[in-house]
Amino acid sequence: MSQFTFKMPDLGEGTVEAEIVAWHTKPGDVVTEDQLIVEVMTDKAAVEVPAPVSGRVLSVTGAAGDKVAVGSPLIVFELSDGAAAPASAPAATPALPKAVGAPAQTVAPLAPPAAKGRVMASPANRRRASEAGIDLSTVAGSGPGGRILRADLQTAAPREAVADLAGTTEIKVIGLRRLIAERMSEAKRTIPHFAYVEEVDVTELESLRAHLNQTRPKDAGSLSYLPLVVLALTRVLESFPQCNVLYDAARGVLVRHHAMHVGIATQTPDGLKVPVVRNAQSLGLWEVAAEIRRLAERARANKATREELIGSTITVTSLGRLGGIASTPIINAPEVAIIGLNKAVERPVVINGAVVVRRIMNLSSSFDHRFVDGYDAAAMIQALKERLEHPATIFIPTVKSS
Amino acid sequence: MANMNMIQALNSAMDIMLGKDPSVVLMGEDIGYFGGVFRATEGLQRKYGEHRVIDTPIAEGGIVATAIGMSVNSLRPVAEIQFADYIYPGFDQIVSELARIRYRSAGDFFAPITIRTPCGGGIRGGQTHSQSPEGIFTHVSGIKVVMPSNPCDAKGLLITCIEDDDPVVFFEPKRLYNGPFDGDPNKPAVPWSTHPKGQVDEGYFKVPLGKADIVRAGSAVSIITYGTMVHVAAAAAAAMNVDAEIIDLRSLVPLDVDTVCTSVKKTGRCVVAHEATRFSGFGAEILSIVQEECFWDLEAPIQRVAGWDTPYPHAFEWEYFPGQARIKAALKAVLEPA
Repeated sequence: MSQFTFKMPDLGEGTVEAEIVAWHTKPGDVVTEDQLIVEVMTDKAAVEVPAPVSGRVLSVTGAAGDKVAVGSPLIVFELSDGAAAPASAPAATPALPKAVGAPAQTVAPLAPPAAKGRVMASPANRRRASEAGIDLSTVAGSGPGGRILRADLQTAAPREAVADLAGTTEIKVIGLRRLIAERMSEAKRTIPHFAYVEEVDVTELESLRAHLNQTRPKDAGSLSYLPLVVLALTRVLESFPQCNVLYDAARGVLVRHHAMHVGIATQTPDGLKVPVVRNAQSLGLWEVAAEIRRLAERARANKATREELIGSTITVTSLGRLGGIASTPIINAPEVAIIGLNKAVERPVVINGAVVVRRIMNLSSSFDHRFVDGYDAAAMIQALKERLEHPATIFIPTVKSS
Repeated sequence: MANMNMIQALNSAMDIMLGKDPSVVLMGEDIGYFGGVFRATEGLQRKYGEHRVIDTPIAEGGIVATAIGMSVNSLRPVAEIQFADYIYPGFDQIVSELARIRYRSAGDFFAPITIRTPCGGGIRGGQTHSQSPEGIFTHVSGIKVVMPSNPCDAKGLLITCIEDDDPVVFFEPKRLYNGPFDGDPNKPAVPWSTHPKGQVDEGYFKVPLGKADIVRAGSAVSIITYGTMVHVAAAAAAAMNVDAEIIDLRSLVPLDVDTVCTSVKKTGRCVVAHEATRFSGFGAEILSIVQEECFWDLEAPIQRVAGWDTPYPHAFEWEYFPGQARIKAALKAVLEPA
């Protein structure tokens, strides 16, 4: 244990003494550095004096109203072992002495040389520490006056946040992952993708969905946009048969399917799978919803049969809440189109000159540009948009014009 | 190539320029008939005549003023001030007229003048023959300041300066005229024939201004210096077995900041050395630039080695001259573990 005597600091030009206004500590108190210990007043200013060190107060000099000369002992601290006493009494100088009666101002004692809390290190070592994420205030310096040397940095621990985890983990690309990788590469390599993004006002669709959810059959699950989009898609494809096609590359033939087997891109613990809603054109909304739910559960539980996973003629992909604002889906070859659903969010929309809140969802789709012209692709998505924005039309059979 | 000391190299430079360019004239005290107190212009009046190599009165203000008048009338004067210690009567002409002619006439006139002047100590010359006033001139905008440390650079730099269309003050460290000097006055004098830079091309060649010379590459510390101190610093570092990078600035204005800062960023340590007095010396400028450009690379405070802040003394010259001991002390301080 060592003692440190703090003397009345020089509180400003020409100050010879200061009057004690109030003590904020008493013998026996444990104070921490910078804690307010005493308020004093000079003929020019009221000043709050903070503790220059941390320690236990052994004695104080003077009571409220007493005048203490600058440089005479004011307070004696007992310092814990290892705590460095300031080399000299800090000189406290108010930056701008205020008139008596003005609010008291805090005066920080000037840091004495090599006092604790002041890091000593060369600029180069400061840079090294910064780059290595080392907090210099935690490093014990072994150089003259406690200066931190380069060698001291070698043993210092970097901040946890930047811990460098060495090593790697190898995962073999096998099974479903290999299959996905091969099919994705093949599709992306051979198919000239034409991406098309359009926004759809799904305010009314949302209203319908909410109503259906409130009034749904007891055994039916909660309804998402997906079955509604699948159903709308089957209606639209009647007019765009060139999108419901499988390309037989070996024979050089486009095989138009009259049935609409809609693949549903599904995330499973093993990876992406595409179970198929067969003959979606012939199913009702709740049937489509139930089938999607059933297939997804089976795919996720790794119970889907091979038949349930092949034979789609077009694919719908939806990331639900992760849908983002736009995406560029990769076509599920040998199909020629894939329809992507982005996240539905409420946005300000201008309608008839007024800004109104509408629920907007983007459709991000890709087409095989070898077989689907951009014009047809756009027209198909616009037709889908029309159905989704006027959801009653999803349930009205297409009127063949001819 | 021929062996030349610095006097012969300077003489060769002026000889070549007098022969090459009829507008070049030499002028100064005792430079013609007598050939200069250090013999730098020996034989040139005989060769080129009294109208090309002109003996002037002992009036430095007049020498500079006359040179200015000649230069704005299409001549290219090389004026010798016999000792840098005598340059002050010409100081007003240099600062108030010479340095500003181009600026003041909005470029209508310029003054292609080279003022040659021997500087520095080490010759028992006392306070009137030993000064190093280069820092006074580096502080004046509009003039270039050059100081070679060997015959080869002296010749190439002097030709560059004579051809330069703006004024240059060309300081010649007189202790190096006859041989390199490592700061030890007790050792026998060494001739330039023992030094690689004493081999000088006899023909026309130039050494560019603003390009420092890395005399020795090293990794432990950068010693930034010029003139006589180049040799003193090299000897001190070698004696201490310190892998110092020694940089001879050669021209102070323009200054090769890139070479200096690249070196200090590499070594992280810097010693600046010059013979001139320390306070407000040119070393302060180097220090300032180094800390501005290289602060985060510095391992230790930059050290300065310079002459004491007194007049150059008649007695105790070797206590005054910043010799190897002072360089070694600076190296020791800057190389402390950091």
